[in-house]
Amino acid sequence: MIITINGRQCEAEHGEFILDVALRNGIQIPTLCHSEALPGLASCRLCIVEVIENNWSKVVASCVYPITSEIEVVTHSEKIKRMRKTLLKLLGARAPQNAYVRKLLAEHEVTPAARFQGDPDENCIMCGLCVSACDKIGAGAISTVYRGIAKKVSTPYDEPSKTCIGCSACAGVCPTGAIKVQESHGKRIIWKKEFELLSCAVCGKPFITPEQIAYLKAKLNQEIDEILCETCKRKAAGERFAQTCADLTASKGLLR
Amino acid sequence: MTVEKNSQRILSYTRDVMAGYPREQRFTLAMLQDIQKKYKYIPRESLEQLSDHLGVPLSKLYSIATFYKALSLQPKGDHVIRVCDGTACHIRSSMVIVDELAKILMIKPGETTSDGKFSLETVNCLGSCAMAPAMVIDETYYGKVTPSRTREILNEYGGVDCE
Ligand code: SF4
Ligand code: FES
Repeated sequence: MIITINGRQCEAEHGEFILDVALRNGIQIPTLCHSEALPGLASCRLCIVEVIENNWSKVVASCVYPITSEIEVVTHSEKIKRMRKTLLKLLGARAPQNAYVRKLLAEHEVTPAARFQGDPDENCIMCGLCVSACDKIGAGAISTVYRGIAKKVSTPYDEPSKTCIGCSACAGVCPTGAIKVQESHGKRIIWKKEFELLSCAVCGKPFITPEQIAYLKAKLNQEIDEILCETCKRKAAGERFAQTCADLTASKGLLR
Repeated sequence: MTVEKNSQRILSYTRDVMAGYPREQRFTLAMLQDIQKKYKYIPRESLEQLSDHLGVPLSKLYSIATFYKALSLQPKGDHVIRVCDGTACHIRSSMVIVDELAKILMIKPGETTSDGKFSLETVNCLGSCAMAPAMVIDETYYGKVTPSRTREILNEYGGVDCE
C-alpha cells in the first residue's frame, strides 16, 4: 500500500513500522532506544510522529506503530517538535550528565530544565535493550527489577549472576553507554562478576572469556581450536580468499 | 531450628507448591503467591528452585518478585497492615493514620516490627473510597479509621508489647 510521509508517497507493507518505511525512503526521524536487531520497549518516545487518518490526528511512536491502512504521516510538525523537546527535557532530567543524552539535547536546542534535579550518576534511560540482548543470547542474566521510580536493570539480588558469560553484549547495545565494563590486565569485570580474558592466537589481544568459548562450543556444536579476534578472523578469511583465487588462477588459468 | 533444617523445609514446601500446578510458566505468579502466603516472603531457595523447575532464568523470577507489591523478598510480619493512601483516603488524612500507626509500632511504612508481629505498608487504593480513610489488616477491612481507633484495632491482633 501507499502511505504519505511529509507529503511524499512511500511504498509500505501491511504491518511494517512507520520508522522503517521512513528510513528506507531517506526520511530521518530521531530515535534513541531503537535497535534494528532487537525488539524495542519503545521507552524514549523520541521517534513520535503524527498520524492522520480520516481527518483525525494522533501522536504515535513510529518505531513500534504498524501500518495497517493508507495513512498520512508528519514527522516534524510544530506539535511534534514541541513534544519532542519536552521528552528530551525529561531524558535530560533522567540522565543529566550522560554525554550522549546531552548531545541529543544540544542537537535539538533544548536547555535542561533547572527545576529537575536528576541523579548525576544515572545514565540508564530504561530502554530494556540490554535485557533483550541478554535474553537473545540465552544467558538471561539481567532483568528489569522493582517498579516505578525505583525500576532499574540488575542481576538477581544485585549479585554476580551464575548465568552471565561476560560477553558484554548488553553494554554493546546500550544507547547511552550506561553499563560499565572494566577491562585490564587480562580481566573483565561486568555486572560485578570477574572474568578471565583469553587472548587472540594471532595478535595477542585479550578479548574473550572462557565462558563465551564454552557457550560458542555448545551453540556451534563443535570444537574451537584457534581463538581469533574479529579483526584477525577477517584478515584470515581475506587471506584465505586471496589464496584460493591465486590457486585457481594458477591451476586453471582463470582470471587471466 | 538450624538454618539447614529450615532451608530443607522451604525446599520441600516449594516442591509441594510446584506439584500443585502444571509445569508451565503461566503459573509462576500463582506459585509465588502460595509461597508468599506460607512464609510471608519469597525465600531465595524457593526462587532458585522454581527457576530450575520451570526453566525460567532466575533474573526473570526476581523481576516478578520485585515488581508486585503482594510479593516480598524480606520476611513480613505475622499481620500486614495496609493503609490506603489513594486520593480519597489521602484527602481524608490517611497520612495521620499512618503516622499514628508508625508511632505506636515504632516503624516506618515498609518496615516490620522487631518482634515480627506487624508490617506497615501504604497502598495506592483499596477500592474502598466510600469508607475513606480505609485500611486492611491481613484480609479484614477497616473503614472511617480515626487515629484514636488505631490502637483499639491493633489490640484485636494482640496489640503491641514492644513499648
Ligand atoms: S542500561 Fe542501557 S540498554 Fe539497558 S535499559 Fe539502561 S539505557 Fe537501555
Ligand atoms: S526510538 Fe521509538 S520509542 Fe525510542
